[in-house]
Amino acid sequence: MNTTKFKKNSHKLEVTLSGDFNLNAVSMITEELADRKELSVDLTHSRFVNTKAIIFLHKLMTSNPPTKVNLKNAPRIFFELLNALGLHNEWNLNEIIEP
Amino acid sequence: MEAHLYLEAKLPMVGSVTDFTYKWCVNMGLDENEAARMALAVDEILTDVVLYAFKEETGYVEIWYQYTFSEIEIIIQENGEPFEPECHSYSSEQAISEGNFEGASFECVRKMTDHFLFLNHGMHGKEYRLVKQFDSLDIRERIEAQVDDYKNETDLAEENYYLLTPATTEDAEDIAKLIYRSYGYTYLKDDLYFPKRIEMAIRHEYKFGIIVRTMSGGPAGYFAVVKSTDSRIGEVGEAVVSPQHRNRGLMKRMLNKLIEMSRRRGLLGLFGEALTVHTYSQKVNEKFGFKSTAMVIAKTPKRTFKGMDTENTDIISVVIDFLPLIRQWERPVFIPENYRDILTDIYAQFKIPFIPSARKQKPAKELKDSELNLKIFYEKSSALIVANNIGSAFEASCNRLLRSVEELNLTSVYVDLPLNGLRIDSAIQWLRENRFIFSGVMPLFHRESDYLRLQRIEAEIDFEKIQTHSSISQKIKKLVEYEYNEIQKKQP
Repeated sequence: MNTTKFKKNSHKLEVTLSGDFNLNAVSMITEELADRKELSVDLTHSRFVNTKAIIFLHKLMTSNPPTKVNLKNAPRIFFELLNALGLHNEWNLNEIIEP
Repeated sequence: MEAHLYLEAKLPMVGSVTDFTYKWCVNMGLDENEAARMALAVDEILTDVVLYAFKEETGYVEIWYQYTFSEIEIIIQENGEPFEPECHSYSSEQAISEGNFEGASFECVRKMTDHFLFLNHGMHGKEYRLVKQFDSLDIRERIEAQVDDYKNETDLAEENYYLLTPATTEDAEDIAKLIYRSYGYTYLKDDLYFPKRIEMAIRHEYKFGIIVRTMSGGPAGYFAVVKSTDSRIGEVGEAVVSPQHRNRGLMKRMLNKLIEMSRRRGLLGLFGEALTVHTYSQKVNEKFGFKSTAMVIAKTPKRTFKGMDTENTDIISVVIDFLPLIRQWERPVFIPENYRDILTDIYAQFKIPFIPSARKQKPAKELKDSELNLKIFYEKSSALIVANNIGSAFEASCNRLLRSVEELNLTSVYVDLPLNGLRIDSAIQWLRENRFIFSGVMPLFHRESDYLRLQRIEAEIDFEKIQTHSSISQKIKKLVEYEYNEIQKKQP
């Protein structure tokens, strides 16, 4: 069974989620992130990103000072949900999404 | 395969449930993306239930996973803090400008499902219904160009030798082609145009059937029994004989086989929903010993029939014909006073011995709650409420369910009442006051017991177009028409 992996330094947290990006994952990341201002999440094993995770990321990116967010291998449903919530134009996806 | 989960409303269980949901959806035939959408919708509901419905308290959630040939439905029930989703609508402007994401979960659920319904059951809690329809290949799109070629096919028309075998998943595409080539776009059961749906239904044993092939292997006919999910009976439906092979007794041979297979599988009875746009099916059913027990009006919204020697653009109604496969039949404990004559006539048709029912209901004073189950048939624009018992709070519970489906503007709503219910007379009285009319007896339809069906029709019905064959079905039609007209007179 996969487990969520964390890699961190003083300013950046890198996470490889073992499952969906849901409220449980948000809680784990919040704890590990602490005051770091850069977050990278690998979503290779995630079938979806739920609204709690999107709200969490949105708040990180719009906080003062903002946290830089980077998402890898985001599932298709993530983009659908972002669109449904009207955030697709608000988020700078060119910077956030890693191809 | 249907499933039922009963879980403590705690955050750690959400992941397990979404994993199960995803796998169940894939197993039932959804593709991985659609299954993930359904899993996300369930995650959203459960997360909010844990966060807001129960907060720090211990609570429980029940989840039902239900399958039909065209869709899957997930029903989540909880009885936490009251909540009204209409008071929490999502606004992207507020989310962006104020960081206020209220209503985001429900917005997500609506986008990820084909239908989403919230039902408030008052003191009995809340219910969330998530529906996803199968998006499988439609045979009509795939073989349209080949139809003319097929019509010219004559190699089999001379043959008189046929092979009848049980239908397997490998026959699914041939079955869909048979339906399309015989009926064009007009067959009532839309699921039969989708090979994948047929394959899944046979694989999961929701139906079993017979396929007829010629010596050269070409499909010539198909007839199946669709098993009921809440009683050991089945519906004889999905019948087709290719035009080139008609008038050779294939329908009769298939039905004989099906009856034999049904007995071997332990079914207690078979029913047919015979269309009333003509009397052909009713006559065939009668020939095989089926007896008419009910008339269900407005079974589907309006459509046009072709290829059946008739065209009709009215709302479709059916006669329920029933064939018991049991040697003895439990007689209902209570025949409702209002319908004593017609029910006596209906039961008198069956020549098998009736024995007194052993399942008498508890006295009404001991039974307050009514166990009502609501099934919504979105494609048919109808709903069925099954009362598994009639408690003293029946009227309030039923009223709540009727109110909760009002926004769907359904064409018809049916209520099935158990004929072993002590309070059935008062339930009938209340339903009649709420514009319900007679439909008939639904024999062994739920929990292997007989039910009385009442129906409320929100459409104009032209009874001239409803054709009935047997004397009993004519009697039933007369009563249904009389009660329908009485209701119309009272309309403002």
